[in-house]
Amino acid sequence: MELQIRKLSKTYPNGVEALKDITLTVPQGMYGLLGPNGAGKSTLMRTIATLQEPDAGSIHLGDIDVLAERERVRETLGYLPQEFGVYPKASAEELLNHFAVLKGLAGRRGRREVVGALLRQVNLYDVRRKKLGGYSGGMRQRFGVAVALLGDPRLIIVDEPTAGLDPAERVRFLNLLSEIGQNAVVILSTHIVEDVSELCSRMAIIDRGRIMLEAEPLQAVAALRGRIWRRVMDKSELAEVEREHAVISTKLLAGRTVVRAYGSERPGAGFEPAEPDLEDVYFSTLAGVAR
Amino acid sequence: MKLRQTFRFEFAYQARRVSTWLYFVLLFVVSFFMARDVLVAEAVEGGYSLNAPFAVAQVTLVACILGLLPLAAFAGAAAARDVETRMHPLVYTAPVGKAAYLGGRFLAAFALGALLVSAIPAAMLAASLLPGSHADLIGPIRPGAYASAYFLLALPNAFVATALMFSAATFGRRGVVSYLGGAFVFFAAVVSWQVVAGLLGHWSVAKLTDPLGLTVFYELSKVWTPGEKNALVVGPQLSMLSNRLVWLGVALGVLALTHLRFRFAHVEVGGRRFGRRRAAKGEQAPRAREAATALSAPVTVPRIRPTFGTATRARQTLAVARESFRLIVRGWGGPALVAVAVLLILVGPLYFQDEGFPQLPTTGEFVNVLEQAAEHGMWLVVPLLIVYYAGELVWREREARLNEIAGAAPVPVWVSFAGKFAGLALWLAAAQALITATAMFVQARMGYYEFELGVYARVLFGIRLADYLLFALLALVVQVVVNQKYIGHLVAVIAYVLVTFGPQFGIEPGLLVYGSDPGWAYSDMRGLEPFIGPWLLFKLYWAAWALLLAVAGVLLWPRGTERGLGPRLRLAGRRFTRPTAATAAVAAALALTFGGLIYYNTSVLHASHAAPSGEEWRADYERRYGRYAGVPQPRPTAVNLRVEIYPKRRAVEIRGTYDLVNGTEATIDAVHVATALGVETREVSFDRTARPELVDDKLGHRIYVLETPLRPGDSLKLDFGVRFDPRGFPTSDIDASVAPNGTVFGAEWLPEVGYQKSREVRGAGQRRAHGLSPRPDVPPYDDPAALMDVGGLGPIMFEAVVGTDEGQTAVAPGALRRTWAQDGRRYFHYATDAPILNSFAFFSAAYAVREGRWNDVEIQIFHHPAHALNVDRMLGSVRASLDLLTKRLGPYPHRQLRFVEHPGRRRTLFSHPMNVRYQEGFSFINPVDDPRGIDLPFAVVAHEVAHQWWGNRLVPASVVGAPVLTESLAWDSALEVVEAAHGREHRERLLGAMRASYLSPRARAGSPLLRSTDRFQWYRKGVLAMNAVREYVGAERVDAALRRFFERHGSATPPLPTTLDLYRELQAVTPDELRYLLADLFEANTYWELAAKRVEAERTGTGEWRVTLDVRARKVVVDEEGVETEVPMDDLVEVGVFPAAGDGGAPLYSQMHRVRSGEQRITLTVPGEPAGAGIDPRNLLIDVEPGDNFAEVTGGR
Repeated sequence: MELQIRKLSKTYPNGVEALKDITLTVPQGMYGLLGPNGAGKSTLMRTIATLQEPDAGSIHLGDIDVLAERERVRETLGYLPQEFGVYPKASAEELLNHFAVLKGLAGRRGRREVVGALLRQVNLYDVRRKKLGGYSGGMRQRFGVAVALLGDPRLIIVDEPTAGLDPAERVRFLNLLSEIGQNAVVILSTHIVEDVSELCSRMAIIDRGRIMLEAEPLQAVAALRGRIWRRVMDKSELAEVEREHAVISTKLLAGRTVVRAYGSERPGAGFEPAEPDLEDVYFSTLAGVAR
Repeated sequence: MKLRQTFRFEFAYQARRVSTWLYFVLLFVVSFFMARDVLVAEAVEGGYSLNAPFAVAQVTLVACILGLLPLAAFAGAAAARDVETRMHPLVYTAPVGKAAYLGGRFLAAFALGALLVSAIPAAMLAASLLPGSHADLIGPIRPGAYASAYFLLALPNAFVATALMFSAATFGRRGVVSYLGGAFVFFAAVVSWQVVAGLLGHWSVAKLTDPLGLTVFYELSKVWTPGEKNALVVGPQLSMLSNRLVWLGVALGVLALTHLRFRFAHVEVGGRRFGRRRAAKGEQAPRAREAATALSAPVTVPRIRPTFGTATRARQTLAVARESFRLIVRGWGGPALVAVAVLLILVGPLYFQDEGFPQLPTTGEFVNVLEQAAEHGMWLVVPLLIVYYAGELVWREREARLNEIAGAAPVPVWVSFAGKFAGLALWLAAAQALITATAMFVQARMGYYEFELGVYARVLFGIRLADYLLFALLALVVQVVVNQKYIGHLVAVIAYVLVTFGPQFGIEPGLLVYGSDPGWAYSDMRGLEPFIGPWLLFKLYWAAWALLLAVAGVLLWPRGTERGLGPRLRLAGRRFTRPTAATAAVAAALALTFGGLIYYNTSVLHASHAAPSGEEWRADYERRYGRYAGVPQPRPTAVNLRVEIYPKRRAVEIRGTYDLVNGTEATIDAVHVATALGVETREVSFDRTARPELVDDKLGHRIYVLETPLRPGDSLKLDFGVRFDPRGFPTSDIDASVAPNGTVFGAEWLPEVGYQKSREVRGAGQRRAHGLSPRPDVPPYDDPAALMDVGGLGPIMFEAVVGTDEGQTAVAPGALRRTWAQDGRRYFHYATDAPILNSFAFFSAAYAVREGRWNDVEIQIFHHPAHALNVDRMLGSVRASLDLLTKRLGPYPHRQLRFVEHPGRRRTLFSHPMNVRYQEGFSFINPVDDPRGIDLPFAVVAHEVAHQWWGNRLVPASVVGAPVLTESLAWDSALEVVEAAHGREHRERLLGAMRASYLSPRARAGSPLLRSTDRFQWYRKGVLAMNAVREYVGAERVDAALRRFFERHGSATPPLPTTLDLYRELQAVTPDELRYLLADLFEANTYWELAAKRVEAERTGTGEWRVTLDVRARKVVVDEEGVETEVPMDDLVEVGVFPAAGDGGAPLYSQMHRVRSGEQRITLTVPGEPAGAGIDPRNLLIDVEPGDNFAEVTGGR
């Protein structure tokens, strides 16, 4: 089963073009959707998650027309929005059980097992009786994952899930996702490059409502081999270098500025070849230099 | 500086919002219509103009109540927006002081409130300036009234409310908590007014505890005359000013407390302190294991495929319902119900007493008290919570920011909607269950154990719950459609007010008023008949509409992230699937069917035979036939009827004959017959040839020209047939006179002879509005026509055969000659042995009868079998009354005297000749528990028996003061019976209870007793005046005067007596030196203001005690307009000296003294040690403050 997105467009009433003619094919497995804030990621995710109407285009999940048969999509959908809350006075177990019923887990016995297992899986089992109002951001996020995983979904959409997580939580969360990704379509939207590089077999980079790149991360990185250059310099030189070369990123390192630039040949004195990584793919795509 | 910036920013922020101005416009519109149309009837009846200062205050206060909602929105937003938007870390860390921050915010909210309530005077001014349909009711515009209404009523109300709301929201950290402050203000006002003042009579307390000033206003409304209502401005009264001052103080105190307790500190949103601590602990444990578990093998989740059949939908609905129910119960829904229960336990018993006379808390009465919501503002708790939780439930996911997760869940919108409705419904059912349980607890606590669960079930769970559910559905759909929580609240509240209190605004129930019904009343005898059928039809109709509303709710249910109207409508279009369309179609079909049925019943069937309503037909009648008033007409001398009552069908057929005689000195050539309206008069014929010259069935007037005129002294027979068969039903005021059990009707359905003055429009204002010539409502006592007009009441011989259903007893006047069964029906033949007044009624019900005798008079009490508490007392009272009154006034001319119970909650009785009817409410009086030991049923029965003389034989002319001759004298007689049977002290206790009515707020203005036109004068003042005359002049003399008065005028034939005739008899027995007292009591509206200031006692050498009593005395006359004139006083007033309570109680001294106006000292010597002394200690004179007449001994040696 795969998710086919064809010519999807959406313009908000205030004139913002959130999606422009998006066409994507998302196969089974983890799919990374990278892009800066405001790129249209969330709009795309919400549209796939049946919460928003596009102006044009179509989405198909296997044989389901997502836009026309929303109820069928929802029956097999797990969605973790970028931002969400909980009922502060309910306990995790209570609310998860509630959602389990809503997601169609009818049998009481099976439901209880699923709820228990999911709480274990997201490591909230020990605090399952606590009020959600007292949960930390990470715990709440894990709870959201548990809700998304209810009902054995075949399409999972997670929108910037790692934003509020500490490193340990993030690792754990990504592990969980990749495990699930073995038999479902998982779309992970993020602006953190490592999330994608570590997990996703395919990815797309989206900016200002357009797909800028669709590729397998490893191949995309390989394609940059020999084209990324690095130079350490003073901050004062930066303006000149930026003017002359295709700078894709700058970082401060111990008071000095590290510049990475793109070029099929060494851009000039002081630049040394660098091993490309996914971040270079991301930045060079956004900068528009790779094409 | 910072305060100003805070204020400016907040004010500008809220002033930019559309809703702020929407509130303003709404309040303006509501005030405008209240001032122009809604309160018209009250103004006309009250005799003041639509823009009188009194009316201005009234509109202002009512509008202020509505204004509480927007005020709460302003205060809540100003107090809690920072926390709610999570902006507070930025604001709290800014260098702003508490005072500037809170002060600026509060002042901004108050300024918005001040702006808001300025809509009220503006609207009222617009209403009086713009042309309207009631231009004749508009008086001159008095700027002072508007200024006072704004600055002394509206503005302080807004300040107090805003202060409490702001503080509540500040402490609650949520804007919505401000509504709790609003609810407090509202309920404090309602409880002060209705409970503390209304039920408990603590007016001085209630006037201070009412934050909105309603109680003060209510008192003024009772105390002021129409002239004062037109002239005096409400506001600068001492009571209003002190009320304002007290609450201003409370508001400032609360604000100071808020300032004191407020901290710029971190706020854990949504969590309570203990919750946070526990959570923190919980977090530690997994964190430690985290790294390890991250590496270990993952848990496997069992793979269960979800299913989506009907069972799942049901389970999902239940899950949503349970979640919603829990939200309500854990929120305010639980505590509020507990509060209602506690309030019910505290206040409930108060409903079962009237002027201190206890009543049985029967289940029927209890459900009427609990569920006739329009009568008792306190029960608004539940509807308000419905409004609140409709908002909470619809916004639940969005406010918890769970809406995206929930929206993506495979739950059809109808499941969400149905689940939330079910949750609300479940809570409402729980509320009714709790109220039922509490009511039974109150009953048990009052020693009453006849819990009628069926009645509770039918009324609280049948009628009331249905109403709640219809409203709950509306409130939910309003929230869905409006999609703005607070505006949704406002719309829902307005909808509720319009439906529930609509009739008071002139919005009659009908097919266009959602949830309305034609009304109902519960009676033990009648049950819910005949109301329940029409009620059910209306509710089925509204249920169909509710289903349609639910479809609309489902179509527009907020799911996903689209907020614009366009996308929502597109989405709705897509949700309009075949099943939805089918549901809508079915609902529409049902609405059409039931609506059609209702329309057919109300506008076709009922309209075809209904009596006309309103005043237009009365005016028409007078204009057309008024010229026949006073035309000589024959009068009835005998009435012979055949009455068939069909209780189950609710129909009555009457055939009858009147013997008419020309008692005038003129020859009569045309007979005017007034046919009753609302019944079918089938035929009218005479025993001589008569040509119908005019038959007007619409106004009920016929003229028959006799071929041979009727000479003086000649007689003729009038035959007629009348049918009462109310097919269909009206949209309100269903005629319940014929019911499956408990039928009662009088002569009102029978034709009468002559022009009917009683049909004319009454009230100066109303007559002017219809262009009718002015006339006093009650003729003056020199009206010659009135003195000669018996009004069709003249004595008749009466005979009737009454048939009713098997198992019921039919009662009519006369001796029961025979009773028999025929064709499954039972017949009763009644006939009188002596003439009676032409005033009678028929009764039919499954009665129990209590029988007794007094000499040769048969006494019967026909009562509902369960209402037997007072039956023996009633019997005893009839015997005692006949005993005394036959001696005092002359023989009782009949051989039967019956009391007949009929449905109705009121405690009223009416004395027809031979048959006294009483409403069920009278049966509930519980003299056993009377704290003052007054046997009220005994006294009231004596009063009704006395009417057999005063009213049924002595018939006063229908002029001013007439009821003094019936009501005051019947009570005077009843007191004599009470004294004869129970002793003098019992009489005093009863008089004391009557005097107590002076203590509740009451206008001192009034006409003299001789010309009195109001009930209080007839039932209270007249009795007290007669009592005073008995004490001063002597009982024997008064009895002799009354006997002579009765003998001279007791024949019910013209010329009829007036109060002047009674007064003459009283004057005749009164010594000259007491004539002034008679004049003070009867000819003027006189008040004595007597007070004992100080009492000293001193032992004399001879072992006696010298008592010095400082008193103050004053006498005033108050006219109809309330103008007080002090008159010089030099009156005989009783002075009494009393021993300590333990020493027997008989006064040491009791003598009449001359007391003049002003302060004076009375010195006397008594034989024993005095404990206190008083001036007019028995309160014989009319003194509105009887409490200060007595003082305890304070000084001396």
